[in-house]
Amino acid sequence: MEKLRVLHVDIGGCEGCNVSIIRAYPKLIELIDLDISYLRDNGFKFDDYDVAIITGGVCMNEPSKIEKLKDIRKKADVVIAFGSCAAFGGILRFCRGGQEPRPDHRNFQPINAVINVDYSIPGCPPTPQMLQSFFKFFMSGNEARLRLFKVSANIKKLSGFDLLDDIVLTGLCIGCGACELSCPTGAIKLIDRRPTLAQERCIRCGTCYIRCPRASQLLSMGGEKR
Amino acid sequence: MIGITDNLLGSVVGVYLARAKDEEILKRKVASGGAVTAMLIYALEKGLIDGVVTAKRVRGFEGQAIVARTREEILEAAGNKWSIVPFAARVRAKIEEEDLKKVAVVCLPCQAQFFGQMREFPILETDFGERIRYIIGLFCTGTFAFEALLNYLRIKYNIKAEDIKNITLKEGFLEIQHDDSLLQLPLKEVYSYLQTGCLVCTDYTGMWSDISAGFIEKEKGWTVLITRNIRGEELVKGAEREGYLEVRDGSHVMGDILRAAREKLARAQKNMMSLL
Repeated sequence: MEKLRVLHVDIGGCEGCNVSIIRAYPKLIELIDLDISYLRDNGFKFDDYDVAIITGGVCMNEPSKIEKLKDIRKKADVVIAFGSCAAFGGILRFCRGGQEPRPDHRNFQPINAVINVDYSIPGCPPTPQMLQSFFKFFMSGNEARLRLFKVSANIKKLSGFDLLDDIVLTGLCIGCGACELSCPTGAIKLIDRRPTLAQERCIRCGTCYIRCPRASQLLSMGGEKR
Repeated sequence: MIGITDNLLGSVVGVYLARAKDEEILKRKVASGGAVTAMLIYALEKGLIDGVVTAKRVRGFEGQAIVARTREEILEAAGNKWSIVPFAARVRAKIEEEDLKKVAVVCLPCQAQFFGQMREFPILETDFGERIRYIIGLFCTGTFAFEALLNYLRIKYNIKAEDIKNITLKEGFLEIQHDDSLLQLPLKEVYSYLQTGCLVCTDYTGMWSDISAGFIEKEKGWTVLITRNIRGEELVKGAEREGYLEVRDGSHVMGDILRAAREKLARAQKNMMSLL
């Protein structure tokens, strides 16, 4: 079988997602031909791609990044927002400027604020196995398994705050504890069988929402949340 | 035999009616065939897993996540819980504490969804999906918001939580055994005490499981097993081959399961319209 041409581009983040992709590559090498900036000098390896994986959030004050994203969209048949920053804004939402090193602008958005995204995969960062699983189901055409990531592609923000609003405060929480287990920063704790959120610890990665059986079920049934 | 389908029930490889061959299991499990217990004991004794994470009823309605590593511990955990156990975080703690490498998880459809997603799409480095060998999902019509239900039982029937010995579902009734008496509550009466989250759940059988298990009224004494992948299929066949399980074709009960699944879906859609 011909290998998929896969482009990876990072448009601004902590590099955690990039490391994850590189760690995933050895097990994907038979399936995909990965064009990643760490393996070449400049420009792109091919003119067009089957899949583009984009990591990092887009700085809306940086026209060159916005143009770059639009250019990638034209080159690739399928665009994946990989990692919480690219998918939902993530911790970049809290950028206030002036830090060393950069970013030094205030307004960071998920990439679907600029271009159409086909799949959003949250995680801060997602594990290498996540990407391996994704390609396994993508290449076998198992859309049922990828549905959650497909509907996530239309969501512009997702966090512990949304989980509280949509699931806990509406009474839909069943008290299973999946959110508590999934929070990478320990912001969610179950008290009296219901989640509570330590707001200052929430990095808006969206993992809790995607992992909540009820929230993810509502999303994949076609519930829209933009 | 039904082919692999993707429908209201999710992916289906095989549908069976099964029951434990062990008399002791059958004695303890009168409502269904004890097939899940038998399969777990088989997996444990043959070294396919080194522990079972499940919920055990500790008092009244309350359940607690436990790890069963022996036949006796599995037998003790068997039985209905009727309340959701905050399972996920406890499962990780249990797996790490006891250093389990291959576990079977017995859970409800919502929990099966979470564990299944975690196994197939690990988002976090701390995910432990690769340690979950089997996910066994139980048919589920919902769990009770048990504080509210217990309150109702106390006010209306003067039944205290700690006096409840057993709860069983019998054709439209919830039978509550407390001290020496038996209370038959029509389901309609307690319906509003189901958790709101369960009222919008669309998954009756647990589509993310390797094996879904439950029972239907017309096949009393048998457990319905739906295998969803090769892993599940091998567990059922292995348990049958090694003499732990008596298995027969269950294609004829598909209609009943589909009907129950459709009812749950319809309930979810109706409730979702009013809740969201």
